[in-house]
Amino acid sequence: MRLKMKMVLAIAAMVLALPAAAQAHTALCTCFDNADGTITCEGGFSDGSSASGVSLIVKDGGGKVIEQGAMDKTSKYTFKKPEGAYFVVFEAGEGHKIEIDGKKILE
Amino acid sequence: MQHKKTVAGVLAALALALTLPGLALAHFQMIYTPEIALDKGGEVDMRLVFTHPFEAGHSMDMGAPEQFFMVYQKGGEGEPQKTDLKAGLAPIVWKSLGNTGKAYTFKQKLRSPGDYVFALVPAPYLEPEEGAYMQQITKLVLNVGGIPGNWDKPLGLPAEIVPLAKPYGLYTGNVFVGQVLSEGKPVPNAEIEVEYLNHAANMATNSFDKKAAVAAPHDCFITQAIKADANGVFVYAMPKAGWWGFAAMGVGPVKEFQGKAMSQDALIWVKAVDMK
Repeated sequence: MRLKMKMVLAIAAMVLALPAAAQAHTALCTCFDNADGTITCEGGFSDGSSASGVSLIVKDGGGKVIEQGAMDKTSKYTFKKPEGAYFVVFEAGEGHKIEIDGKKILE
Repeated sequence: MQHKKTVAGVLAALALALTLPGLALAHFQMIYTPEIALDKGGEVDMRLVFTHPFEAGHSMDMGAPEQFFMVYQKGGEGEPQKTDLKAGLAPIVWKSLGNTGKAYTFKQKLRSPGDYVFALVPAPYLEPEEGAYMQQITKLVLNVGGIPGNWDKPLGLPAEIVPLAKPYGLYTGNVFVGQVLSEGKPVPNAEIEVEYLNHAANMATNSFDKKAAVAAPHDCFITQAIKADANGVFVYAMPKAGWWGFAAMGVGPVKEFQGKAMSQDALIWVKAVDMK
């Protein structure tokens, strides 16, 4: 019983501590081709809060995950430009998912 | 007799002032670019023009600016990055409806999302009719990609207007709220002149369009005047889409230049966008 209660409290604390939960902000992400075989994505939120730690997923044309990582403390993530078609998914939780087509990522 | 002479003198001066077209209008240093909020980065094209934006009849010659820079920041906790932009300024001649004036053009590639706060400290301008100088320290806050940064932070200029409403996200009819600072401190009861850029700025020909967007119902609508409160805060509701200039007059610490009086003013430009 005690353990259950503790767990509930722990979960509640976790939910409250999640920055993206239940706020009126919008997730934003822009990617660029660095013209050196790498792509950099920069994320953030419309209220100015950081996207540090937000996961970024790179998928190939068929939807297979090629690479997955987290945005650094300046809300950036750089990866090797995949051969062929690819998509970038900026995954900041419920209602905060952005998908960017690699074709639209330019210098 | 002495008194009569003075009155006659005042009347003569007044008559002269009324006949001189540009004299009664407010001077506004402009940092102009067509858009204030960009979806993506790219090359931003700017013009620095010293003019009377409502009438667009007369532009003044700008001297080489003392400072021109931008401070970029992404996110509320991001590191502000200052870039000196003076080397990128190229002189041009700007065509107003009635004359031409020395101005500057500038191009800057912006990439990362965030706020780019541009600041211009122009060379003091000698107003020949008044025998006094003016220096209008001007700001423009541009955003790329919607992620905000330092739009609400002072840049540490001698005189500046700090927005209290996000200056690149304003609908037509919204209020723009700003705080007037002199050496970082609020200026109580600061006098602010407001003008609308009434003639479109044509970037290809470096000129103002002849066609005016609106006609002032009376001369007192050309340059509107508002006052800040005890904390230096002012509020203005923008009735029409487009660029609006706010100039806090004589608020800067420097009151004299080369033995003549100087008005060091703080300006900011914001753009109202229609809600469709």
